Amino acid sequence: MPDGLVHFDGVWKKFRRGERHDSLRDLIPAMGRALVKRAASGEGALASEEFWALSDVSFAVRPGEALGIIGPNGAGKSTILKILIRLLRPTRGHSLVRGRVGSLIEIGGSLHPDLTGRENVFLQGSVMGMRRVEIARKFDDIVAFSELGDFIDTPVKRYSSGMNARLGFSVAAHLEADVLIIDEVLAVGDAAFQKRAFDRMKEMVGRGVPAVVVSHQLERIASLCTGAILLVKGAIAHQGSAGECIAAYAGIHGEASADGAGHDGLRIASVRVEGPQPVASGAHAQVVIAGVAARDGTSARPVVGVRVRSLQTGEVVFATGTISHELELPAGPFELRVGLQMNVPEGVYAVESTIGQWQRERRVETGPAALIQVTGGRWFWGQVQMNCAMRLGMNGAGEARHD
Amino acid sequence: MLVADPRGRAQWKAVALPSPPPPVEARPGALSALARDLREMASELVQYRELLASMTRRDLLLRYKQTIMGFGWALLMPVTYMIVFSLIFTRVVKLETGVPYPIYAYTGLLPWNLFASSLRFAVNSLTANHTLVTKVYFPREILPFSAILVSLVDFAVGAIVLAVLMVFYHVPLHATVLLIPIVVLVQLMFTAGVTLLLAMGNLFYRDVKYLLEIGITLWMFATSVVYPVQRIGGQLGWLLALNPMTPIIDAYRSLLLHGTLPPAGPFAWATGVSVLALVVAWVVFHRAEFKFAESI
Repeated sequence: MPDGLVHFDGVWKKFRRGERHDSLRDLIPAMGRALVKRAASGEGALASEEFWALSDVSFAVRPGEALGIIGPNGAGKSTILKILIRLLRPTRGHSLVRGRVGSLIEIGGSLHPDLTGRENVFLQGSVMGMRRVEIARKFDDIVAFSELGDFIDTPVKRYSSGMNARLGFSVAAHLEADVLIIDEVLAVGDAAFQKRAFDRMKEMVGRGVPAVVVSHQLERIASLCTGAILLVKGAIAHQGSAGECIAAYAGIHGEASADGAGHDGLRIASVRVEGPQPVASGAHAQVVIAGVAARDGTSARPVVGVRVRSLQTGEVVFATGTISHELELPAGPFELRVGLQMNVPEGVYAVESTIGQWQRERRVETGPAALIQVTGGRWFWGQVQMNCAMRLGMNGAGEARHD
Repeated sequence: MLVADPRGRAQWKAVALPSPPPPVEARPGALSALARDLREMASELVQYRELLASMTRRDLLLRYKQTIMGFGWALLMPVTYMIVFSLIFTRVVKLETGVPYPIYAYTGLLPWNLFASSLRFAVNSLTANHTLVTKVYFPREILPFSAILVSLVDFAVGAIVLAVLMVFYHVPLHATVLLIPIVVLVQLMFTAGVTLLLAMGNLFYRDVKYLLEIGITLWMFATSVVYPVQRIGGQLGWLLALNPMTPIIDAYRSLLLHGTLPPAGPFAWATGVSVLALVVAWVVFHRAEFKFAESI
């Protein structure tokens, strides 16, 4: 049983926005300002351009556990990982990782272009803390995993970016780690490689290696992790099972920011999914979009749109709008009910509202969104649930029908 | 219903309020912190010694791949300087050095080149490897240290020319040559201290590498590389006597050309400065290390 351990205890991390000075010319005025500020404020206080990227984040991951971290962009997910792998130090609190850390991060960019694939494998391996003999022993496996056999003695500068990323990941994936730190690596390489990479991670987690996983692909989090945290603006908004956190994430998505999304004559307040979740593949889901259209009677023709995005691939699988359904929004508050037949594969889908304006040019803004989880339904493989009907004829003696 | 998770939403609202400042922690004593840092530095270097070897191998390999002359460049700088200064100090101004001038100059230029090329190479070592520095953790001193090791290989190659010169000018070999490794060690300690500060400085302020070019040139003429700097007297002489590189380079000459031990006082001074420079620079570097990834 692996004895790796991750312990994150009351971590705060302060960052500053704006440009950092890296020329001596800027140093002297900056030092002057810093002196004045230090005198004026205490230790834990924030200067005007500073902000808390993480505030009071705590969690623990023991052997056999895998923790998923989800949340919107800029929530502090990568900051947590950087603190775990000791690239950053917390402003307050403690981060403890016991055992050898294998960080499956995108390292393709750090391969040296003038060295061959083989030379880079050895170099990257030792950067990650592997012994030379260990790399030599695993060399064949690494090359086989990357499928770069014929190009292993070619300088990396002649590689495509996909080959580059594959080689980088393959080295990282062969480190015998006590703790795994995984950051959005599933976006590496083609579909076949992604599957192999994911299977590899699953196998390591299955062996009981504690893991911390950051991904926007909520599907993967749900199938890989034993627990999750939802991070919003640097703080834990929800802690629990992966499913619970995905649900809580949907709640955040569905709520508009304080001023509401929208412009000029139109504002969308919320997007909700009605009825039970998850929805079976091929079944109907009901989405309610609530908002207000202005009464000022401008010539603009406001349009509310619906966009369905697969969180697994990030692609928009479907989009439409009120204008295509010959609906004119009345002035005042409205409630738009949208029925969607989820003819899609299993996964989590974001239903995003959009606000458009049919005037001289088309302007589209994204409003709030809600999540729909699709699981079950009749099994199929592919991209579209075609609600297949099959009929079997038996020599005209009778019909077996099933649709 | 998936959307309305009242618990999750309520918690989110609670954290969206302005964050209270975290509690301020008590700091450990300065001495125990120093002891902890020194232990950490030593154990990390042992743990990552293979990386140091790999990085050095990488840089040597790259030199061979990217240049036609390869190690020839290691000889070019000291040999060219030796020829130029030999012309100046034997034809234009006669300089009495006690040994044939070319060999006097070369015994100065060879160790000086070890020092100067370590500095030049190391100053960029962190910024040139920024993809590594921002993605993977390893003790960052590996990068400037490997720059020094690469220059040390050049130094060894350059020593072949020195051997040829000694045979050509009939300079006998003394038993004191066996003490040379001690001088090299002292020089490496001093070089390591300076390179750590330079590499770190250049990461925060890119001006450092431009300043370094001027600094190296001035420093060379403030050291007894191509002439005995001790002949400069007065207040400037006092100032120059503080330069630890002069006793180091003079020590090479004493051991190699004269078969005598270097004067104890200046060499002890140089050794003391070197040890202090290394320890102070390394601790400062180690403590600033965690800022590298966010400052590069």
